[in-house]
Amino acid sequence: MSIRALWGAAAGALWLALPVLGVDDYYLHLLVMAGIFFLLAAGMNLLLAAGQLNLGHTAFFGIGAYASGLLGIHYGLSPLWTLPAGACIAGVAGWLLGMLTLKLRGAYFVLVTIGFAEVIRLVATNWTDLTQGPMGLAGVPPFNLATERFTLTSKRDYYYLITVLAGATLWTTARLLTSRIGRALRAVKENEALAESSGISAYRYTMLAMVTACVLAGAAGGFYAHYITFLSPELFGFQNTVTMAVMVVAGGQGTVLGPAVGALVFTFVPELLRMAAFYRMLLYGAILLLVVMFMPQGLVFYLRRFGASPAATPVGPARDGATFEAGAGVGESPAGSALSVAHITVRFGGLAAVDDLSLELGRGEILALIGPNGAGKSTAFNVITGFQSADAGRVRFGAADITGEPPYRIAERGLVRMFQRTSIFPESSALDNVLTACHRLARTGLAGVLCMSRANRFEERSQIERARDMLAFVGLGHKESELARMLSCGEQRLLGLAIALAPAPSVLLLDEPAAGLNAVETVRLMGLIEGIRGHGLSVLLVEHDMKLVMGLCDRVVVLNYGIKIAEGTPAEIQRHPEVIRAYLGTGGVVARP
Amino acid sequence: MLAELVQHVVNGLILGGGYALMGIGLTLIFGIMRVVNFAHGELFMLGAFFLYTLFSLWGLNFFAASLLAVAGVAVVGALVERLILRRLRDQPIEIPMLAMVALSVIIQNAAILIWDPSPKTIRHPFSPVPLTLGPIHVVAIRVFAGAVAVALIAGAHLFIQKTRLGRAMRATFQDTDMARLSGVDVDRIYMFTFAFGAALAGASGALLGAVFWVYPAMGDLAALKSFAVVIMGGLGNFLGAIVGGLLLGVAESLGAGYISSGYKDAIGFVLIILLLLWRPQGLFGKKGLAR
Repeated sequence: MSIRALWGAAAGALWLALPVLGVDDYYLHLLVMAGIFFLLAAGMNLLLAAGQLNLGHTAFFGIGAYASGLLGIHYGLSPLWTLPAGACIAGVAGWLLGMLTLKLRGAYFVLVTIGFAEVIRLVATNWTDLTQGPMGLAGVPPFNLATERFTLTSKRDYYYLITVLAGATLWTTARLLTSRIGRALRAVKENEALAESSGISAYRYTMLAMVTACVLAGAAGGFYAHYITFLSPELFGFQNTVTMAVMVVAGGQGTVLGPAVGALVFTFVPELLRMAAFYRMLLYGAILLLVVMFMPQGLVFYLRRFGASPAATPVGPARDGATFEAGAGVGESPAGSALSVAHITVRFGGLAAVDDLSLELGRGEILALIGPNGAGKSTAFNVITGFQSADAGRVRFGAADITGEPPYRIAERGLVRMFQRTSIFPESSALDNVLTACHRLARTGLAGVLCMSRANRFEERSQIERARDMLAFVGLGHKESELARMLSCGEQRLLGLAIALAPAPSVLLLDEPAAGLNAVETVRLMGLIEGIRGHGLSVLLVEHDMKLVMGLCDRVVVLNYGIKIAEGTPAEIQRHPEVIRAYLGTGGVVARP
Repeated sequence: MLAELVQHVVNGLILGGGYALMGIGLTLIFGIMRVVNFAHGELFMLGAFFLYTLFSLWGLNFFAASLLAVAGVAVVGALVERLILRRLRDQPIEIPMLAMVALSVIIQNAAILIWDPSPKTIRHPFSPVPLTLGPIHVVAIRVFAGAVAVALIAGAHLFIQKTRLGRAMRATFQDTDMARLSGVDVDRIYMFTFAFGAALAGASGALLGAVFWVYPAMGDLAALKSFAVVIMGGLGNFLGAIVGGLLLGVAESLGAGYISSGYKDAIGFVLIILLLLWRPQGLFGKKGLAR
């Protein structure tokens, strides 16, 4: 058993034994409150892992509490029913709010969630018929399991019940954060466009985090309702959210144990400050400020020795120079041409960035799209990969019409894009970068992830193997555990290529892959692209580096002011008068070696 | 009927002027420093309390006290930037946000300890007899508040557009690195921006505190509303904050008058949510500016 597991078992045993050891009811109460806040902080932490800070989270706590409380009071339902009901209602509310707001990002999302909680608070305060307003809702029945005999009365009973809920929460969030779902969430946070391009729908995964967080909050609320038996609109107050946010950040955001540590510490700190009476809140604010200023990674960071940090994928001995396996057979095998673009037109106001462009990419072909800056090449790429919609025309991937599909869907089909300049997940290791990109290859569903089924574990292992193979192929086998943003520019470009190759694409779109690389790095890149050519991959690339284009490509399409002006073999293009006039200029052109 | 409507609108515009001042400060701070200032409401509150202390407690002349109050809040803002925000500049956006939340807890509770929680009125030197302009009746203090708000907004606009420092601020807003390369002392700009935003919030607090009343928690609702204003106008958009502030003030006034005063505070938030559904970037914001 690892050290980490031993510590976990010891802590768990101690926790379970506390009531038996004669700990005072008052402290048990504090621990119960800590448990409730843990559910809240864990949910907030999950959503924050996807990059969204929900400062209205307490609204879902309150919704769950009032829903459970009202169902208990008016319909006499047992908490066995009202607690899940409260959780579900809160989850639905979260889903609705998510639908409205998850298109917003960053600060906008934060501010709207605050506004949402405020609106709910005002409703709870003013809709006195339903909620009794500021007077509060009293008389919520305590926990009973359908018969009188099993009514929970003592603190100890509630303590064990919240332990069950907290345990379930810990398991769920641990599974989510350390699996491919956690990688997907972090990918959305670190580089959303790249995540979409790897088959990860930012909207869906953020929504998953949001609904899970809200269900947890609702469950916490339902428990609270039957525990305290009195509810007031103050549950919706910003104060609560501040507490939760403190627990998440000071505990250690993005980690599994962070919310737990934060919940425990910041439930007890205000109690310890109780001695200070008047100065209590002031000191609490000061402590919070100091923690945020001097320990922004949270307390868990300092407990790393006990293995509390997020599990970065473990690495094995360094590998070098593997050969590339396309992993063919995954996803659609395109019939006919791999990719065909028909009469695409994109207008910005009166200007046509792309004007009636058509091209065909044959199977196994390497086709270059060249043209002066502003010719419309990146716009064409954006249309093909779903990041932009065209005003006219259609895009076909094999036999399927993919016009207008969202980027993650197109990536799921096997059409993968490597972005211009450097596009990586900066805060993850090189291995995690490529592993995240293997997303579309996963076949086990959410249930498998949560239960750690054998299929899921096998899939994780094989994906790790694949990721390591990809890194070795591009020559980064020795840098697996390096943080992506610490790699050199050329290495990051290679990582980008590995990310693009990881999901076993059948069509690869490379957007200026050699930009910013020196001659040596460019030759190496050419070698890599040649290396993947024979494995059933079709490649469409945009490039300015003529040596790469002429040396590597089967055919070339030339764009100027959005219009295709020439198409043919590199040799034909070199001689084409239109092309020479528009782009290559007069004077010597590099001939094929 | 019409007179009543005009009355509500006029009241709303005056209130909106205060919101606009808050909004401008907040949007400048976000636009230039990328910080969501959760302590903005407390700066608002400090402006009111400084005025109360200088004028009602220490007996200074009302106008001098107002000026000093605003200056005081500016100093507080400069200190906050220098001592707290400067350290947190490289952290992800949540960290300065939470630091400001913590600061707001500290300031609000300090205010409760220094002055007590009971609401206070500022016995300003203006006559309580309403002035009559056609069908509209406005108390002199409100006219004063409205006029000062307009002057400050115009002054802020001129400052940012016409002065060298204002130009440096705009440069920093558009591209921090280029500003540095052009010789702008970005550290100084950040400190000044925060102090400037704080001063505007403090002025708004002093004005609205004189019109209504002064109590330690007054910043809470003001902060939430200024967030609403800034979202409506688009984060970082000066003109948007002005329009948003006026719109919110008028909407609230009309809402309180015709619908219900209990829910009037909710109106702003409902408006934002509806607006953002239609235009996720706000009324004037540009797409993709949120991060």
